[in-house]
Amino acid sequence: MKNKDLNNDTFLAKWLEGEITDNDLKSKVGEKEFQVYAKIKKSLEIKEQLDLPVGDSFQSIKSKLKPKKQKVISLYVTRIASIAAILLIAFGLLKFFGNSDTKISTEFGQQQTIVLLDGSEVVLNSKSELAYNEESWNENRTLFLDGEAYFKVAKGRTFTVETTNGSVQVLGTEFNVNSTKDYFDVVCYEGKVEVEAKDEKAQILTPQKSFRRINGLNPTLKNIEDIAPSWINGETTFRSTPLYVVLISLEKQYGLEIEAESVDLSKQFTGAFPNNDLETALKIVFTPLNIDYEILDKSNIKLKNSK
Amino acid sequence: MSQTDNNICKDKVFRNIFETYAKDLRNFMFYRTQNMPKADDLMQEAFVKLWDNCNRVNIDKVKSYLFTTANNLFLNQVKHEKVVRNYENQVQNRSNVETPEFIAIEKEFMDKIQRTIESLPKKQREVFVMSRIEKKKYKEISELLEISVKAVEKRMHRALITIREEIGDV
Repeated sequence: MKNKDLNNDTFLAKWLEGEITDNDLKSKVGEKEFQVYAKIKKSLEIKEQLDLPVGDSFQSIKSKLKPKKQKVISLYVTRIASIAAILLIAFGLLKFFGNSDTKISTEFGQQQTIVLLDGSEVVLNSKSELAYNEESWNENRTLFLDGEAYFKVAKGRTFTVETTNGSVQVLGTEFNVNSTKDYFDVVCYEGKVEVEAKDEKAQILTPQKSFRRINGLNPTLKNIEDIAPSWINGETTFRSTPLYVVLISLEKQYGLEIEAESVDLSKQFTGAFPNNDLETALKIVFTPLNIDYEILDKSNIKLKNSK
Repeated sequence: MSQTDNNICKDKVFRNIFETYAKDLRNFMFYRTQNMPKADDLMQEAFVKLWDNCNRVNIDKVKSYLFTTANNLFLNQVKHEKVVRNYENQVQNRSNVETPEFIAIEKEFMDKIQRTIESLPKKQREVFVMSRIEKKKYKEISELLEISVKAVEKRMHRALITIREEIGDV
């Protein structure tokens, strides 16, 4: 082998940068050697990923962790709850890994507008995830949502949003879905929407009607006045919503960790907080509920009851 | 050590466990799945399960709990994918769809690459790290080192040959 010539060449450098193709390299070194080089190249890409820290992951699992209750709960209940949680995760895994090719997710405080293949628009709120199958989209307009999103659906076949809390079906309309843990809230802004919460009969929503189910209890139907969800315009609005749902939303919006062990998480909040002003947002949410908050550092907040 | 330091249900303890094992677990799952996003998801699901069972897992066994759980989740997924694939084959014969060549990366191979990079001659390593780790273009490297682009490419080329030789039979 003319090792010296080989050593003075540059084609491997060019191949790594994509300046020459795999086939060019194959014709220079042969199929067998090419395989070795391809493996080296791939492992270099992988090495980079293996070295990445996992810091962001903690934020994303945090939203899936159920807050630990202070009360003593009988073992029987915890067992049922954990089985339910496992089923929920298994269901979610199935949905997300089983069928979807395209996944879009947003980070804290981020919003993203996605235009689907048929021209339908989805605005994804912060710390939410959307998945759908591009290949079968034309036959089957189904997508999976974890978090909150606003949909403007192009006319056509049935359009389905699946969540771990149930599914929402429409023909062509504008609506908002918020599915976080055991909170499921659907608002119809235009057209007709069919909501099928888990283990419930399907319900039809007409414009300015909202459907909400908390903790798997009986769902409630209400009238609303907005013509689009307020978070689209930089505000997050709640109507008689349990505090823990509001906390999750604050955490997602501002990338926070809120310590709320000593306050009553079932207190209800009605109002709207801005998405770009933390101080004001905290004041708006906690003052009316008689809760003091302490900013421990940039992303940690501790709550306690006012005296 | 006080009682509370052993309680996995405590936010701080849980977070500590996450920081200690998350990366190792994710990388371990990468070698199992050969797919980074999947590995990351499995790692996360294992931690969610740990949280759900925080009362029942002993802190001394937490590492093996996490690794076993993630591995079981992975095996279940494989099982499920097999069912789906069988079903798809029944519905329509997809055998004519060509799959691109898949290269699996084993831990041993990765360790070898790591050692080889560290033992590259200084000039080769310098260029190699700037290009592959710091993601600089050959042109930028040539400006930084005040040598020609051609010289950068030669060093890079040689580095790759050195790595190839060190790797030996695959």
